[in-house]
Amino acid sequence: MSQRTEQIEKLFAEGARRLLARAADNHSLTGEALIPRIRAAVGKYVLRDDPQAAPEVVKDFIDKLQADDLCLIVACEQGNQKAWSDLVERFSTTVRSAARSASSNEEGAEDLAQSIWAELHGLRVRDDGKPAGKLAYYSGRGSLAGWLRAVVAQLAVDQHRKQSRLVQTEEDADFDRIIQHGQEENTWSGHGEAVNPELEISKKLAGAEMQKALATSIKQLSAEDRLLVKLYYFDGLRLREAGAVLGVHEATASRRLTRVHAELRQQVERILTDQGWTKPETERAFSEVALHLEADIEPLLATEGVLMKKENEIAG
Amino acid sequence: MKQANNNEVDLLLRSLARGRDESALQNRSGSGDGNRATSYHLDADELNSYAEGVVPASARARYTEHLADCDACRGIVVSLTSAAGAAIRSEAPEQKGGLAFWQKLGSLFSPAVLRYAVPALVLTAVIGISLLAMWQQRRQPEFIAQNQPADSSTSTGQLGQTESPTNQSTNEASSTIQKRSESPAATDLFKEKNNLQDDKTRVAQGAGTGTGEVARGAPTAKSAGQPEEPTSQLELRPSYAPEPKAAAAPPAAATLSEADKSTQLAKEQPAKREDQERQRDVGKNTPSAEHGPNRSAAPRTAGAPLSNRRLDGLSAGRRGPYGQDKKDKAGEVETRTVSGRRFAREGNAWVDTSYDSSRTPIKVARGSEQFRALVADEPELRAIAEQLNGVVIVVWKNRAYRIQ
Repeated sequence: MSQRTEQIEKLFAEGARRLLARAADNHSLTGEALIPRIRAAVGKYVLRDDPQAAPEVVKDFIDKLQADDLCLIVACEQGNQKAWSDLVERFSTTVRSAARSASSNEEGAEDLAQSIWAELHGLRVRDDGKPAGKLAYYSGRGSLAGWLRAVVAQLAVDQHRKQSRLVQTEEDADFDRIIQHGQEENTWSGHGEAVNPELEISKKLAGAEMQKALATSIKQLSAEDRLLVKLYYFDGLRLREAGAVLGVHEATASRRLTRVHAELRQQVERILTDQGWTKPETERAFSEVALHLEADIEPLLATEGVLMKKENEIAG
Repeated sequence: MKQANNNEVDLLLRSLARGRDESALQNRSGSGDGNRATSYHLDADELNSYAEGVVPASARARYTEHLADCDACRGIVVSLTSAAGAAIRSEAPEQKGGLAFWQKLGSLFSPAVLRYAVPALVLTAVIGISLLAMWQQRRQPEFIAQNQPADSSTSTGQLGQTESPTNQSTNEASSTIQKRSESPAATDLFKEKNNLQDDKTRVAQGAGTGTGEVARGAPTAKSAGQPEEPTSQLELRPSYAPEPKAAAAPPAAATLSEADKSTQLAKEQPAKREDQERQRDVGKNTPSAEHGPNRSAAPRTAGAPLSNRRLDGLSAGRRGPYGQDKKDKAGEVETRTVSGRRFAREGNAWVDTSYDSSRTPIKVARGSEQFRALVADEPELRAIAEQLNGVVIVVWKNRAYRIQ
């Protein structure tokens, strides 16, 4: 065993001891029971991205683990019935609430909540004779309540996918029919004056070229900036919400978005110039597209409402 | 220009997002969530750690990269973030309730609190002191005017004579601050109260017996009690002297002695002040009435310049509290000063006096995200928006904003 590995293992053992000391109820666990979990967490969050991480970094990471939650989960995994009762008692409300958010009706929410406990406990048995539940994947880095919410959300997505596959064919046919119908009768715009204002603009002003360049420019943004753009424009989040996901204040998100706008514009201009556009042409195209989009912003907003209504009707 | 560029990109991005949504709707197949193919997804632990902001920086960059491209994982992180925010909000009061007394006390004097509390306290103290000073300035002439009838009823012909006990006590009351150092405050206040009550009784008696010129004694009391006042009044007298003629006052008024004129002037001051305050109150309730012809019950022909002069000369100190919200007599333009910016009223809008109408202001709706972001950056703009109702056009850091 190399010196580095020895040093890290020593950190794990010391960290496990400190964790047990910090926990209000350590469920009579030993340090050895916690070390594999700590090793997995450090490997996943620290050593994978920085294999030569300093011992201080590893120590700090271990000391920030949720001692109580981690001990509870490890005790549950080891078959401690009291720990199980404690887990169910403390977090059944959280699980039910998360299930209700992820499900469209109360019955579905109840089914989802029940299946979560089964998933956590594990229906299959591992080689060592213990149940292969999802409990093994809790690292203790985040809160247990948050982790349970994430498990519920993922399970809901999985169930939705399974159900979607069953009704996919019929649903696709419905969507195709609606889209075709909308295109023929101009009902998608919500006004009946134009087929789609954005398509009109694309044809008239070579907006498609510009949008293509914009899409390319977005891909070239940094991951943080791209995530901000996706959250704000594509997911429809408010700046405050997008900032919360990124861990920054609303004002910071706003400033960052302003900077991204400038970067995107420069990048689009560069791409279009490479394609043979002159600078005046680019500027004119920008202003004309903006002019038309601004003029059509109200119909577009109305269209969003119509689209959402149609989707709800189909889903409901 | 920069703002316009940003708006163009903003509109294009919205258009692109909408186009993508529609294409996702049309291409619904496979996963059913419009998600692009990704090699792996983040597990529940990674999603939760990211949403709670506890992922180490190096791992965070990797997850951010994935989230920027994976709609499904991003959706879960968004829901977890909002749930975590709600959980923190609901847990916050419980934590506060568990704080010990010393912790609460300590939190009151924490640097974060003191950073705002100390300037606020200083500001409050300054405002309080200035209000007190102005109140005392206003109170002084009123008090003298109230005491005038008593002096006239007792010593109408004692002009220039030695001070009577009543005058002495009046003098004490009118300059309480000066006298406090010489005699106990409680005694002064008691004397003042007694004298006031005596004077009121005498005024009532004087009025009942038909003594119409009870106020004439005021200058006597004033000159006797306040040696400084006659000097200032003498300086002002030439400007007030023509008033009866200009206002076509009764001939009897023209024959009044200098003392009588001063008395009349002292009598008019509270009355005019009351009139002004009444006008201001009426103006608050009915803004349109401010511009109407009957703003004052008194004729504004000959008397107006005189009263203006009086405002400028005698009661300049009194104008202080109203200096921030006033009407320009010449142009009838109502102006207000907020956060060091001066605003003029134009219809329903408050327009920054430094605003150039050729500039196009940036429209910001109150309560909108843009507004919140703006006021978060510029707290002074929040103060302006809060203190001025309706549409506000303000020039801030070389940019014009239209807050509505």
